[in-house]
Amino acid sequence: MRGLLPLVRWVAAVAVAAVVLMPVVWAVSISFKPPAEWAAHPPRLVPEEPTLANYQVLFQVGNPVGVVAEMTRTAEPVTRAFITSLIVAPLATAASVAIGFFAAYAVSRYQVGGPMLPFLALTTRMFPPVAFAVPLLVYYRMLGLIDTRLGLALMYTGFTVAFPLWMIKGFIDSVPRHVEEAAILDGASRWRVLFTITLPLVKGGVAAALLFVFILNWTEFLFALIFTSRHAITLPVQVSYYAGAVGRFYGPQAALGIVASLPVVIAGYVIQRHLVRGFTFGLVK
Amino acid sequence: MATIALRRLVKRFGSTVAVDDVSLDIPHGKLVCLLGPSGCGKTTTLRMIAGLEQPTSGEILFDGAPVSNVPPQRRGIGMVFQNYALFTHMTTYDNLAFGLRIRGEPRETVDGEVRRMAEVLELTAVLDHPAARLDLSTMQRVALGRTLITRPRVLLLDEPLNNIRPGLREMLRAELRRLQLDLNQTAVYVTHDQEEALSLADQVIIMARGKVEQIGSPDGVYRRPRNRFVAAFVGSPTMNFLPCEVTSRDGEPHLAGPGFVIPAGRRPDLGPRGRLIVLGIRPEGVRLGEGPVSAVVMLIQPAGADQIIELAVGDHRLRALIRPSLRLTIGQQVALDFPSDELHLFDAATGEALDG
Repeated sequence: MRGLLPLVRWVAAVAVAAVVLMPVVWAVSISFKPPAEWAAHPPRLVPEEPTLANYQVLFQVGNPVGVVAEMTRTAEPVTRAFITSLIVAPLATAASVAIGFFAAYAVSRYQVGGPMLPFLALTTRMFPPVAFAVPLLVYYRMLGLIDTRLGLALMYTGFTVAFPLWMIKGFIDSVPRHVEEAAILDGASRWRVLFTITLPLVKGGVAAALLFVFILNWTEFLFALIFTSRHAITLPVQVSYYAGAVGRFYGPQAALGIVASLPVVIAGYVIQRHLVRGFTFGLVK
Repeated sequence: MATIALRRLVKRFGSTVAVDDVSLDIPHGKLVCLLGPSGCGKTTTLRMIAGLEQPTSGEILFDGAPVSNVPPQRRGIGMVFQNYALFTHMTTYDNLAFGLRIRGEPRETVDGEVRRMAEVLELTAVLDHPAARLDLSTMQRVALGRTLITRPRVLLLDEPLNNIRPGLREMLRAELRRLQLDLNQTAVYVTHDQEEALSLADQVIIMARGKVEQIGSPDGVYRRPRNRFVAAFVGSPTMNFLPCEVTSRDGEPHLAGPGFVIPAGRRPDLGPRGRLIVLGIRPEGVRLGEGPVSAVVMLIQPAGADQIIELAVGDHRLRALIRPSLRLTIGQQVALDFPSDELHLFDAATGEALDG
């Protein structure tokens, strides 16, 4: 019986992984398939005639031939959307987590805004986001922020800031006040304490918030669709362009999906070390 | 030089009064213990001295100058917290170096001081260890070193030995005292452990419910408690209390307790006959063998060098500390004496000591 347990665990782990990873695997498969195989019956996981055409279409490098080239001629190259996403998402994430960190500190240590403030901050997430779209559209038009990267970054910052506030607040709450007081009595200013004592002690929470908010911002679709049209479209919007009136271009769409997920994978990989440390580097109770 | 004076210090949190009109003087180079049960305001008093809490009213003077407007960073205070408050994301070395680095001391100075302090506190071997991985007694020494390295004018200690296991605690206590004497360091030590306070302090300040109950030498508060609270709080096992009435026999003042009458000794302040009094006697003051008080042995607790005997006198229980060679059995009738120089008398209504 003993010997069976690791096997059962292994099977269960593989089963879960298979379910979770299936869509990803399928997207990778499609991205290398020529048009004829996109929706072929019966479906095949391994492409019969693997091709890089889908990826070439995205960046419009070389001269893709055949149906794919023909069908996607209307779409713009993804470079611009890629750059927009690479500017907007990190910018909004950094702003959101920075503001969230300071807000969390103020709420945790000074009860700024009273006990209801953290809850009120969450109200931005309590409505269907589209409820905000029309009023915001009016203001954005007046401010000239429609279809700008700055406009999107501001909006993403505002809509995500409640998350880092809550996530980091929990971590700051668990840093004993005495630790900060000890640093103050050693001569450190409030700011110095914040950056040399508190921030390093909660960096696990900050890392988690960074990753979480980055994923939200990177994949945001609705506002990007509504508030941009040409100059500031982001990758998720670009992905949607491959399903047009002419038909569904699964191949390029899948290829773009794969390419677009790479920054998140990289960010997650870079940050995960800090996530684990954040939870294990315990404090004395 | 560093003397501290508190003048009519009051601290309120909302409607609760944490510190209620506390005035005291802490002389230079002395170790003063703030002693009291939890919630008595001793830690709040300490935090006000540090500047971590603002007094509601009253004044704190360092060397005669008020410090109300001096932020904690510039009071020249070093404080060791109950949970040490180490910077757990740093190594022992960085913890020790923190205060000096904040002051912008040059690298070589910092390094020299840290190594010297590590030498004194025997931390050299763990300098590179992360502070979070140290054991409690080592953490305590790191906390102390981190505090002392900046040469504070006043050292504040908030129950620093609470988390240390008993045997080691006595050792560290002695070490701490030696260090304080060597440095001639003014220190305020908060504790709820009366034994710790008595063994460590030059002066003990006993607090209860935000007020100072008594200030005195360890010997003074033990021998001449000013009221019932102090009498009960200081000394272990706790002092026995028996209700008595002032009476006289053969023209001499006597005390009539439950089932006994004993001479009260020469006490001018005893008051009129019939006055209700609480008689206090420490377990170590009770004499077994012969005397006017008859009691029944209820419980025998060997305690190493002594044994603690629980006795019933009328409806009252009291404890006596006696030699272990004396063989007693439970249920045995014994005679007790309360020598008059061992008696502590308190007014039954106010709890104030009579012998003043």
